[in-house]
Amino acid sequence: MSTIDEATQQAVINLCLSIADDKLFLGHRNSNWTGIAPILEADIAFSSLAQDDIAHASALYELAGNLMDETADNIAFGRKPDAYLCSNIVTKDDQFDWANAIARQFYCSNFDLLRFERLSNSSWSELAALCKRLVVEQQIQVNHINDWVKQLATGTPESKERITNALNEYADAASSMFETPYGFDLLIEQDVVNVTEDIFDAWQARIAEQLSLVDISVDFENTASENEGGRSGVHSDDFADSLTELQAVYKEDPAASW
Amino acid sequence: MVSKQAIIDVLLTIPDPEMPISIVDLGIVETVELSERAVHVDLLPTFVGCLALPAIAEEVKKKVGDVDGIDNVTVDFIYDPPWSTDRMTEQGISDLAKMGIAVPDGSCCGEGGSSSSLVELQTSAIRCPWCDSEDTTYTSAFGPTRCRSIHYCNACRQPFERMKQV
Repeated sequence: MSTIDEATQQAVINLCLSIADDKLFLGHRNSNWTGIAPILEADIAFSSLAQDDIAHASALYELAGNLMDETADNIAFGRKPDAYLCSNIVTKDDQFDWANAIARQFYCSNFDLLRFERLSNSSWSELAALCKRLVVEQQIQVNHINDWVKQLATGTPESKERITNALNEYADAASSMFETPYGFDLLIEQDVVNVTEDIFDAWQARIAEQLSLVDISVDFENTASENEGGRSGVHSDDFADSLTELQAVYKEDPAASW
Repeated sequence: MVSKQAIIDVLLTIPDPEMPISIVDLGIVETVELSERAVHVDLLPTFVGCLALPAIAEEVKKKVGDVDGIDNVTVDFIYDPPWSTDRMTEQGISDLAKMGIAVPDGSCCGEGGSSSSLVELQTSAIRCPWCDSEDTTYTSAFGPTRCRSIHYCNACRQPFERMKQV
């Protein structure tokens, strides 16, 4: 990506924002578990996952911000609702049910790892360098969350039933992750995104591999549904609630320094 | 004119805010560029979400800026090459061992491996920094900082930490 025209630049910005917004809202949702996760180790781990997710978002906002001439904080907290490009699954209310939180993180962490792997050899060298680093950190997340799914699936009959239900409950919302932001085709043309295989198929294979170890099967359909629209700024009520909470402090005084 | 070595000597006096080790020995100093009265330092984050990064950048600007003959110090965090524990110096590894923090020696599997067994506890040859025993248990990938994991030594019955192998 040596020269960059306006349309490509906007597509690159959309790509960064779609990933960063997913991570920001997921991290925000998960930070609600700090202090109340079922056991201490899980509490520390989930808080760390949230810290990682928000840090990854911040690094991607900075990349986009260089092109937008805007700060990461302003991008993260200062946009209008329809300028956020996150998918529906990250803002879905988990009802403070641990199985829901684990199921969601399981789907999202595995998807993010695939995204970062794919972007590690992007023709945009800055994005490639960042994603090479993020792949390593994301793999730690994936190992951890895969283990939690197995723990719940091999715990008690109740835990198995609840994680199975949660995985099914979030299966529809998971399809929202695979929506692509505006201009994505342009990025494929310019090798900013390298597509060697269908990312939905690759994701489904990894998820199925993990779940087959504990005899759980979930049907996924990568089809348009009421869960789509997030990548073009059309969001759910759960998103609106999350955004209000997320922006509350920033809106008190957008010019404050930290 | 100030020598590059003089700048590196200053960086050697700057500790990581969360560990008793200099940022040079931690291996996060990638480049030091000196031109006339200006210095530019490129640092590699251990983890992208490390909360100590702003404090480290401030300390570098302050301490290097105090050097006679230097007026301007800039610091950037870059991701290429990615930081890894292989970048730590012998001095750094020994400084951490004194505080009960083990460092991977590259001989055993890291956190980066894929998860395939039901029990993901890592028991292969992680040496206790207190008593040198290899009879240790991997407790959690999530320790007090993003770059450290938590372990337990069954021989001396002490918990210890370890730099994550990345």
